[in-house]
Amino acid sequence: MNKNELDSILKKARLPEIAEDSLEMFPRRVVARLNRNDPPPRAARSFLPRLAWIAVLAACAAIAFAIGQWRGRMETSAIPATDTLASAKLIHEMMAMFPNQIRAIVQDDSGLKLVLSDTGDVPASPPLYVRICDGQHCSSFVTFSGQEIQVDGQTITVLSDRRGGIILAGTQFVWSSTERSPAAGHLKIEAKNLAFVAM
Amino acid sequence: MAHTAATNDESKLIELSLSGDPEAYAALVRSHQKMIRAITFRMTGSPDDAEELAQDAFVRAYRHLASFNGHSKFSTWLCKIAINLSLDWRRRENRRDNLHSQWAAETASENNPGAGFPDELSRRVQAALDRLPAKQRAAIVLTIYENQSHAEAAKTLGCAETAVSWRVFAARRRLKRLLKDLPHE
Repeated sequence: MNKNELDSILKKARLPEIAEDSLEMFPRRVVARLNRNDPPPRAARSFLPRLAWIAVLAACAAIAFAIGQWRGRMETSAIPATDTLASAKLIHEMMAMFPNQIRAIVQDDSGLKLVLSDTGDVPASPPLYVRICDGQHCSSFVTFSGQEIQVDGQTITVLSDRRGGIILAGTQFVWSSTERSPAAGHLKIEAKNLAFVAM
Repeated sequence: MAHTAATNDESKLIELSLSGDPEAYAALVRSHQKMIRAITFRMTGSPDDAEELAQDAFVRAYRHLASFNGHSKFSTWLCKIAINLSLDWRRRENRRDNLHSQWAAETASENNPGAGFPDELSRRVQAALDRLPAKQRAAIVLTIYENQSHAEAAKTLGCAETAVSWRVFAARRRLKRLLKDLPHE
């Protein structure tokens, strides 16, 4: 079954008929609830006095500032805000959808791609974020220790050590997140163990 | 006069509702109830829960009517309220009794031949939708049944467009498996 065939089946599905009297009564039920519970919208709008709104906004700003400070201490360098793979929610959702199947989630110029194992043999381990730029193009990955990623025609093995450091072993270089010397040729690499990052 | 996405009649009804005219709001409910009840039914698989959620959606819409700015269609705005209430409802249900709700979702349509579906295909499709995680179901309801683009669905759900794309992708994958024995052209 292809995509169009599935869509056609889904669109053919109809809902149970709603009885005429139910359709007739429904608006009255809604209005009855409004009369019972709710003030008119304009009255509701003026419920909070202006000063209360200002206090709420100030509290939100203070919380946001505190979180920003805390995150700043947690991370030595920031994952780009525009990177979809920086969304912990999305990553956790994908991991829940395909348990032990995800080899890598890849984001590059062509969009997001999912590399799955057919056999569900990917061991459970903390997700690792890797971003590699070759001067013109950047690719981001969320993958796991022991998995291989393809960049610029090279196969790169991604490994993590016990302390959360990440090692990338390519055919022409070895790069480590714990060492300052970037021995990765023209590639600029950034990597983080997402288990240690509050995203 | 400023252009709005709501029709003139609809704008007038909204204005009257804002001034506290219940008949005007009843007219708005009447004209949109089928769409909203369809959304809540697809999301819950239960006629009773669907009706209750649809009522909740219209009540919430009334409470926030003053914030409807007319930049989107009134129906799109209502749809956003209904789908998010349905997602909240599903989360509450799961928290309250995860096992029961999972069982209920999986068996509601299968074991209830009196649910009133017009044909077997419709019943099977709803049973398959009931087995999707709520967010994937919402993505399918919006993109397939409400004909929203992934970008529009992302706005409705308050998430990234790529998240919608993934949810649709994963939902299709599962639906294909669940519905593979249905005849298709």
